Amino acid sequence: MDIVAILTSKPVLIGLHLGFAIIGIDAFLWLLGKWKDDSGSQKSRIVTAAVGVLAFIASWFAGGYYYVVYYGVLVKPVIKSGAAPWVHNIIMETKEHIFLFVIPLAITVFFITLLPQEEIERLGFRRATLWLCGVVALLGLLIGAMGFMISAAARWGVIN
Amino acid sequence: MGFFCPRPISNGMNKPKLIISSAYAAIITIIFVVVITIWAELSAPLKDWLKNFSGHHWTSKSIFSVLLYAIATAVFYLLPQKEAENRLQRMLNYLLAFTALGVVIITLFFAGHHFKIF
Repeated sequence: MDIVAILTSKPVLIGLHLGFAIIGIDAFLWLLGKWKDDSGSQKSRIVTAAVGVLAFIASWFAGGYYYVVYYGVLVKPVIKSGAAPWVHNIIMETKEHIFLFVIPLAITVFFITLLPQEEIERLGFRRATLWLCGVVALLGLLIGAMGFMISAAARWGVIN
Repeated sequence: MGFFCPRPISNGMNKPKLIISSAYAAIITIIFVVVITIWAELSAPLKDWLKNFSGHHWTSKSIFSVLLYAIATAVFYLLPQKEAENRLQRMLNYLLAFTALGVVIITLFFAGHHFKIF
C-alpha cells in the first residue's frame, strides 16, 4: 500500500479532517486569548491566524474528499436506514454547508492580524474582532459536534 | 489623510480597506451559499447542473464560493469606498449577523425539509 492509498483511506481521512479542524479551532482560540490579553507580538498573531486558516483549508480538503468519495455511497445509506435518519437530513446537510462559511471568516480574521493591536483599538473595532475570532472557533466546535453526531448515527445505524 | 490610509503603510497595502473588502466578500459568499443551497434543494435541474459541473453538488458549491469570495474581495478592494469612522466595527458586526443568520436559516431549512414543511 503506497502513501497516497494510506492518506486517502477512510479512517485516515476522518482523522485528518478532525485533526486539522482541532488545530484550526485551537489556533483561533489562542488568537482570541492573545487579542483579549494584548499578549504576544503582532508576528505571533499573524502566524497563529495563518496556521488556523491553513488547518481549516486542510480539514476542508480531507473532509471534502471523504464526503464526496465515501460518505454518500457507504455512510449515508446506513444512517438513512438506521434509528436516526434525521441526522443525515438535518445535521449532515447543515454541517456540509455551514462549513463553507468558515474559510472566508477565518481569512478575514487573518487580514485583521495584519494590523497592530493599537491600530485595531484606534480604529475602534477591537470588540468586533474578538467576537469574529470567537465565532470562527465556535463554528468549528459546532461543526465538530455535528460530525460526532453523524459518526454516532452511522454506528447505531449498523447496530440496528 | 483618509480613513483607509491611517498611517503610511510600508508595503503599499491598505489593510483596513482589505479587511472591509474581505468582510463584504464573506457576507456575499454566505448569502450565495444559503441561496444556492436552498434553491438547489427545491429545484432538481439546478442540483443536477451543480452535480454535472464537478461531479458533486457540494464540490461545485465549494468551488463557486471560493471563487466568489476571492473575486469579490479583489473587486471591493479595487473599488473606491466611502470613508467613515466606525466602518470596520460596523462591517464586522454585519458579518457576524449574517453568519448567525446563515447558520439559523440553513438549519431551519433542512429541519423543515426533513419534516416536509417545505
